[in-house]
Amino acid sequence: MAAQTLTIALAGNPNVGKSTLFNALTGSRQHVGNWPGKTVEKKEGFFQLGGWNTQVVDLPGTYSLAAFSVEERIARDYVIQEHPDVVVAVVDASNLERNLYLVTQFIELEMPLILVLNMSDMAHNRGIRIDPKQLSVALGGTPVVETVGSRGTGLEALKATLERVIKQGQSAPAVQLDYGEELEAELSKLEAEIASVGALAEQGKPRWLALKLLENDAEVVAAVRKMGCSSLLDAASEMIDRITESSGEDPETLITSARYSFVARTVSGAVTRPETFMRTRSDRVDSIVTHKIWGLPIFLAMMWLVFQLTANVSAPYLDWTDSLINGPLARGIQALLMLFGLHGTWVESLVIDGIVAGVGGVLVFVPVLLFLYTAIAVLEDSGYMARAAFVMDRLMRSIGLNGKSFLPLLIGFGCTVPAVYATRTLEHENDRKLTAFIATFMSCGARLPVYAIFGAAFFGAAAGNLVFSLYILGILIALATGIVAKRTIYRNAPPQPFVLELPPYRMPTPRNLVTHVWERTSGFVRKAATVILSCSIAIWLLMAIPTHAGVGEFNAVAPEDSLFGTVSQVIAPVFAPAGFGNWQSAGSLLTGFLAKEVIIGSMSQIYVGGSEAIASEDENLPTLGEEISGIVTSFAQATVLTAQEFINIIPRTINLIPVFSVPEAQFLPATEEEEDTGPLSQALMNSFTPLAAVAFNVFVLLYVPCMAATTAMRHEFGTRMMAYQLAYTIVIAWVAAVLVYQIGSLLGIGTA
Amino acid sequence: MSSTYTLDQLLPGQSGRVTRVGGEGALRRRLMDMGLVAGVDVMLLKRAPLGDPLEYKLRGYHLSLRKSEAQTIQVDLQ
Repeated sequence: MAAQTLTIALAGNPNVGKSTLFNALTGSRQHVGNWPGKTVEKKEGFFQLGGWNTQVVDLPGTYSLAAFSVEERIARDYVIQEHPDVVVAVVDASNLERNLYLVTQFIELEMPLILVLNMSDMAHNRGIRIDPKQLSVALGGTPVVETVGSRGTGLEALKATLERVIKQGQSAPAVQLDYGEELEAELSKLEAEIASVGALAEQGKPRWLALKLLENDAEVVAAVRKMGCSSLLDAASEMIDRITESSGEDPETLITSARYSFVARTVSGAVTRPETFMRTRSDRVDSIVTHKIWGLPIFLAMMWLVFQLTANVSAPYLDWTDSLINGPLARGIQALLMLFGLHGTWVESLVIDGIVAGVGGVLVFVPVLLFLYTAIAVLEDSGYMARAAFVMDRLMRSIGLNGKSFLPLLIGFGCTVPAVYATRTLEHENDRKLTAFIATFMSCGARLPVYAIFGAAFFGAAAGNLVFSLYILGILIALATGIVAKRTIYRNAPPQPFVLELPPYRMPTPRNLVTHVWERTSGFVRKAATVILSCSIAIWLLMAIPTHAGVGEFNAVAPEDSLFGTVSQVIAPVFAPAGFGNWQSAGSLLTGFLAKEVIIGSMSQIYVGGSEAIASEDENLPTLGEEISGIVTSFAQATVLTAQEFINIIPRTINLIPVFSVPEAQFLPATEEEEDTGPLSQALMNSFTPLAAVAFNVFVLLYVPCMAATTAMRHEFGTRMMAYQLAYTIVIAWVAAVLVYQIGSLLGIGTA
Repeated sequence: MSSTYTLDQLLPGQSGRVTRVGGEGALRRRLMDMGLVAGVDVMLLKRAPLGDPLEYKLRGYHLSLRKSEAQTIQVDLQ
């Protein structure tokens, strides 16, 4: 037989340091993906244990194994269907009581179990003394290992225990929970009946199934019904009625109470706590952070800081990445192509103008994401994120979201891509989807150059009013979408409970931060490499293919004569009711899918003509040495600029106080376009009325987010959700633009 | 002497012992899973700056509930 593979499942409550333990066990040999069909993260990894190749599966953090939340169902189904060799239950030693409640449910499942008392140092500091031997005895001989995940303490002991358990032939804990005389009597009757139905063996152990039937567990009931054992269901529901009548409580309540009583007995035997009530450092921090008066200002300051980090402080690195890709990298590839004799051919154009520009345009978001993920990781690991939800819940609830939705929406003003990924911090799938969905209406930094050019051309000094109104319009559409979604598609969804643990404040450890940031950023890069590559090639092809004879050759054709021009001409009439039914606008909007600020580039190319060269052509090409030193120097410059931006947050914040002004986020330098906008402004004024210009900007604000954001949406929520969003944003944008133009025309505003 | 209140009626710093968890379905189960079962002592720590949700301490940890959720839980004052 080939090398045997063992499977270990890591289970536990959220915030118990499961991920840290997972990383410590598996190192770099891990794979992060989603559970099939769910937006819940699935992490798998491997390590060598004795002679076995061991697979570790990190189950979603849950408080229970009821079938109500997606996470709970995933964890439970995995354990029942995949039969891991051992379940390692990770518990927070300083919060043993609630943590052990989950463990009781693994005992019910009769799974081979190892208990890991993580954060045992914190428990110790709080004066909590745990006797591992007593605990192990109370849990039917379940091995107990003490660890401090953040320092890697106890890892070897855990491995040794695992090895010993495997070698001894793992067995389930030798303990059963006692649910009380009456329930036990019914339970054993039901158990016997279940055991007689062979087909049910796959669904779980008889006692566990009996328990679930008495709990009226939706999933188990459905499975039993599917097997045609309706007599079993009838028997169970009779028992439920009988028990409820005689005891005054339904079995679900009795069973839950029995689990907690078991836990209380276990804890009282194995744990000693300090007599006096200790006010922890965490309590003192909390009394300030969620203070009646200071709570909200502190929250807003935190959010403002994160926004500044992603929008401004990361900008120099973004520029650096941009110049790295379009400079040395593009030149290097060009040189390589020249070696193969492809200089000046369509291949060069495809690679440089299509692939490098397209994929590069998305990779420049990597620095932004690094900053965002670091900020989020600090907020989450420190315990502040839960407080942010606590402070904001009251306001966000009115639009059908909860307090944690605020951060993604705010980040959306900087860039939609990190905003979509920031929704990971939300607990419920519906909240995640709706928040990401409406975050695209928060006007991102890349849309600002478009408003700025049009504003300057048509409204001069009053351009600020246009920009401000557009931001407000975006917010209003987002709110309206949230409220409508809550009343329609989510009307029948059960109200999301806001039952939220407020974990103790902790110092985030650098190791955890790095892992979180790396996992999330690398996921984005992998996506950029595939989806965006194909999109970029498609758009390049459209621009390169001439549509009729005599207008040029492949890759040497004016925009209006290319397939792109033809497509634009076909689309253009759609925009006639909005006042900009010319092919130039339609074409620019098409390219805007690459990135919204590209609209301005396309317009100047179409209206004014003459494209700006990307890489220097005939200048003395820098040598490799010069390239490298250039990269290093510019990186150093970016670091200095970033430090400056970081310090700038303070004056910028103070500037805000006397007059409200729109955040000045700029993700990509709009400077080149701004320098020679004279002819473009003229051309725009010739082909747009002021009203049409406003309608056009409204469309730019609302229509499909850029390719990178769309990819992020698909990455997080799947193709169907992405398709909904594309359709919805196009319709909303069109309707809004048409309304603006038609109502404006009726009132005779800005038509000349 | 004790009298029956719901969990949202506690004053900050005040404790009560749970006698009954109302509501139904997923929410009720979630509340019980978090340790809110008959017999457990719960203390209201504070209200959020906007008055809702509420922060409680039970079983050695901190839990936040909306007022509407806390209303489904009956307590005896201590």
